[in-house]
Amino acid sequence: MNDELHEAFLDLSSTLTGYSRFRLLGTGQADPYLSTTREAVGEEVLAELLNTYTDVHRDAGDDEKALDTGLRARILSDRLLGPVARNVIKMWFVGTWYELPQEWRDVQATRGHDSTHVVSPASYTEALLWPTIGANPPGAKAQGFGSWAAPPTIDAP
Amino acid sequence: MSLRRIATVEDLQQYLHVAMQLEHATIPPYLTALYSMHPTANADAYRVIRVVAVEEMLHLTLSANILNAVGGTPDLSANSFVPVYPARLPDGEDDFEVGTRAFSRDTIETFLKIERPAVAGEDDSRFVSRDRSAGALLPAVDAHEDSLHFFSIGEFYAEIGEGLERLHHEMGEGLFCGDPARQVGPAYYYSGGAAIVEVTDASSAAAALRVISEQGEGLGGGIFDEEGELAHYYRFQQLLLGRHYQPGDEAGSPTGPALDVDWDAVYPVVPDSALDHYTEPGELQDAVTAFSRAYGDFLTRLTEAFNGRPDLLLPAVVDMFHIRDLASQIIRNPMPGRPGVNAAPVFRGLAPVEVA
Repeated sequence: MNDELHEAFLDLSSTLTGYSRFRLLGTGQADPYLSTTREAVGEEVLAELLNTYTDVHRDAGDDEKALDTGLRARILSDRLLGPVARNVIKMWFVGTWYELPQEWRDVQATRGHDSTHVVSPASYTEALLWPTIGANPPGAKAQGFGSWAAPPTIDAP
Repeated sequence: MSLRRIATVEDLQQYLHVAMQLEHATIPPYLTALYSMHPTANADAYRVIRVVAVEEMLHLTLSANILNAVGGTPDLSANSFVPVYPARLPDGEDDFEVGTRAFSRDTIETFLKIERPAVAGEDDSRFVSRDRSAGALLPAVDAHEDSLHFFSIGEFYAEIGEGLERLHHEMGEGLFCGDPARQVGPAYYYSGGAAIVEVTDASSAAAALRVISEQGEGLGGGIFDEEGELAHYYRFQQLLLGRHYQPGDEAGSPTGPALDVDWDAVYPVVPDSALDHYTEPGELQDAVTAFSRAYGDFLTRLTEAFNGRPDLLLPAVVDMFHIRDLASQIIRNPMPGRPGVNAAPVFRGLAPVEVA
């Protein structure tokens, strides 16, 4: 795994999800999500997404508002990068890669592994959806008999 | 740790304190190896280590039951209860150390040493008398004049078993003077390795010891215990041999289904993680601190549970799952400034180190 790519993907993911790098790494899903994105959209689009993010981040400096505006203008509104960025967000929150919109697929003539799929069994239990709603993943991450009598012990985002 | 032959109830209680320390001391190494595996890799190896770790928790609880039965007071909250890794085992094997390491062949080799079958014969040959080596062993609960070491955990428990028998012969039922309400029974301990044994007399004490010894090293030199369960030593050995044992197999020659191990699907956690590894302020340091606080609270809760509140084991189970989730999160994060090394939790409370 290319370290620079890996770092940029983590930074982008952290900005897009609102979860810290520590929490993202703590899911154990950063590598599989990066691989999934690469397989679906290809090296070039992935590189363009990460480079654009790096530029936006550099231009914004410590200005949170500028970062927000830059992300919306240059990534989320972009016809090529927007759908990919939204897919990355969805993947972190629900552990599933969703097939990109037909329009995107037509333009890109994508050949990648882009069909909707759960990335791995762990990506379901580690999805950010659960800490976000303050619940444990149903059917997974057992918390012990009778634990349902007490409030969940979830670390808030 | 200095131990002498069991001659008094106090000696026996001291042995049982050490037994609890010993059972607990194996758990952080097992859990660190377990949680160092990548989330979806190594399902077989994960299961093998998890089963053994859970059985050590049963043994800890059984030791507490025996200690309570003979009028002792379990205490897991003392700072010296948890070893500083790398450490020698508290029963005195001094030819190897255990640590909290990533899952690897070397780590499994160490686990085999922890669980190695007894080899010594009867009586005195299970002891090896040596000078006390400073710092090598865990602090003594109560020092005696003789230094005695055991070759294996099995021999240590054999001495407890014989000591119990001797004292029972001398004192009769008066030996089991503990309040039965302090016993942890099946209402509060279940699906954790095997059935819990409440200890109220000589036969239940012997039954509890038998579970501990047989799960660890098999029955009478065999690889399975009375329930047909594979002993810990052989469970671990399967990982190195790449094959499951099945009934009828001889030690060292499993003939069951293949057991595939991916030794690379592992987070390279820092060996013997300690709090002073995490000096850089930030989320990782906060997480490691939160883990140790949670672990210390957990040991305090267990101490209360073993001192007349067995019902507290139910919330302690919730604690354990929370501890698992915190540990996994830490282990998947890199150590700042140390490329190729990941962080790992420290299985001890935040209490300041005791000054001798």
